[in-house]
Amino acid sequence: MRPASFEYHRATSLEHALELLGEFGENGRPIAGGQSLVPMMNFRLARPGHLVDINRLPLDAIEIAGPVLRIGALTRHIAYFDNPWIARHFPAFLDAVHYIGHPTIRRNGSIGGSISHADPTAELPAISVLYDADIVARSVTGERRIKAQEFFLSAYVTALEPGEMVVAVEFPIPPAASTGSFIELGERSGDFATASIGISLEHGGGKIVRAAMVCCGADLFPMRAPEVEDFLVGKPLVNPSGAEAGCIFAASIDPVDDHIASADYRRGLIAELTHRAIEAACTRALDKS
Amino acid sequence: MIDITLEVNGKTKTLSVEPRHLLADVLRQEFGLSGVHIGCAHGACGCCTVHLDETPRLSCLTFAAQCDGSEIRTVESIGGPTAEHALQQAFRSEHGLQCGYCTPGFIMTLMPFIEEMVEQKRLPDDDEIREAMSGNICRCTGYHGIVAAVRKAVNLGLGGGI
Repeated sequence: MRPASFEYHRATSLEHALELLGEFGENGRPIAGGQSLVPMMNFRLARPGHLVDINRLPLDAIEIAGPVLRIGALTRHIAYFDNPWIARHFPAFLDAVHYIGHPTIRRNGSIGGSISHADPTAELPAISVLYDADIVARSVTGERRIKAQEFFLSAYVTALEPGEMVVAVEFPIPPAASTGSFIELGERSGDFATASIGISLEHGGGKIVRAAMVCCGADLFPMRAPEVEDFLVGKPLVNPSGAEAGCIFAASIDPVDDHIASADYRRGLIAELTHRAIEAACTRALDKS
Repeated sequence: MIDITLEVNGKTKTLSVEPRHLLADVLRQEFGLSGVHIGCAHGACGCCTVHLDETPRLSCLTFAAQCDGSEIRTVESIGGPTAEHALQQAFRSEHGLQCGYCTPGFIMTLMPFIEEMVEQKRLPDDDEIREAMSGNICRCTGYHGIVAAVRKAVNLGLGGGI
């Protein structure tokens, strides 16, 4: 298939892009790497009347800004592999990048695009929910920060308003004694995930003192697991009861039943991935100390 | 229609395109480069991979209008009409292709990988090779021949035996 007709506009500055998006409203979409938007357009599942090309804007910085790591919307996924801050502070993030599409997609796709597209099993939306990131959105009327947990409303549905564009994602930097991991299973390498689990843990004295967990594949958006997070607090890194945590979580979810996997299979898979992700995060912390 | 200037395989041309025209279609129809194969047209098969400003890019997920002023390389720029490049020859000798539909995409995806390995002076293991080509689908070979071809091409680049 080929896309329906649209008008193409190349933004020459962020202000220019926002003016155009403000003018076109729901009929306009920014385009960065196009790795998700263009397939949707080729299938005619998306038919924007106007595309605003933001690729030549300087929005690809990864920088420490006080207590957060600020990642510009146009940062390509490949940039995380050799970024020292990602490796040092966000181990689950770095794990997750390995599961994003394949090398060509990772060279071209951007974080702003992935977040705005909001595929229910995409890695960067999950990671932003895991780490309590703020999505920084801007429009002609100003800038606002939206908590990742309040940003993803359903499959491909976000809290972005017409005319708004993601300009950055800000990740609060965890304390030094923290660890994490991300595990995903799909039908084949680089394909959409059947399910994935991300874990981020703070620890002290050999025990978990704070836990965060995100799951894709259990609902139409990346969901946190507050019951498991509470359960993990106080558990030792050496034997964190990951299997039990997996069972607790699996009992609380109601995953979809479709041609990829039955609901029962998904529940079992999610329990096992939860177990493995917790073990992997704890092992990583123990190896480091 | 939008006027754009592209430098394709070393030749510069200015042409008018509709915004919705995919780079893959423009390369095939306006530049006559039939080595740009279109498999799935939604970024799943890798057949249409070209180099856009030296970076592998799926030309089915790229609008030609976005590429104004860019440099594009297709498989036609590799190894001449008789496909003399070491990677192409290795595909031939190692049974890295059968029907050939996916081959241009594989070659364009793997070229920078092989150059990187040669630059780093190391032979990648099979898992690494498979990861590098994980965005390309081949329905004939079962991939073993392609992995062997990549290994051979890197080996040749490193000046080693086969």
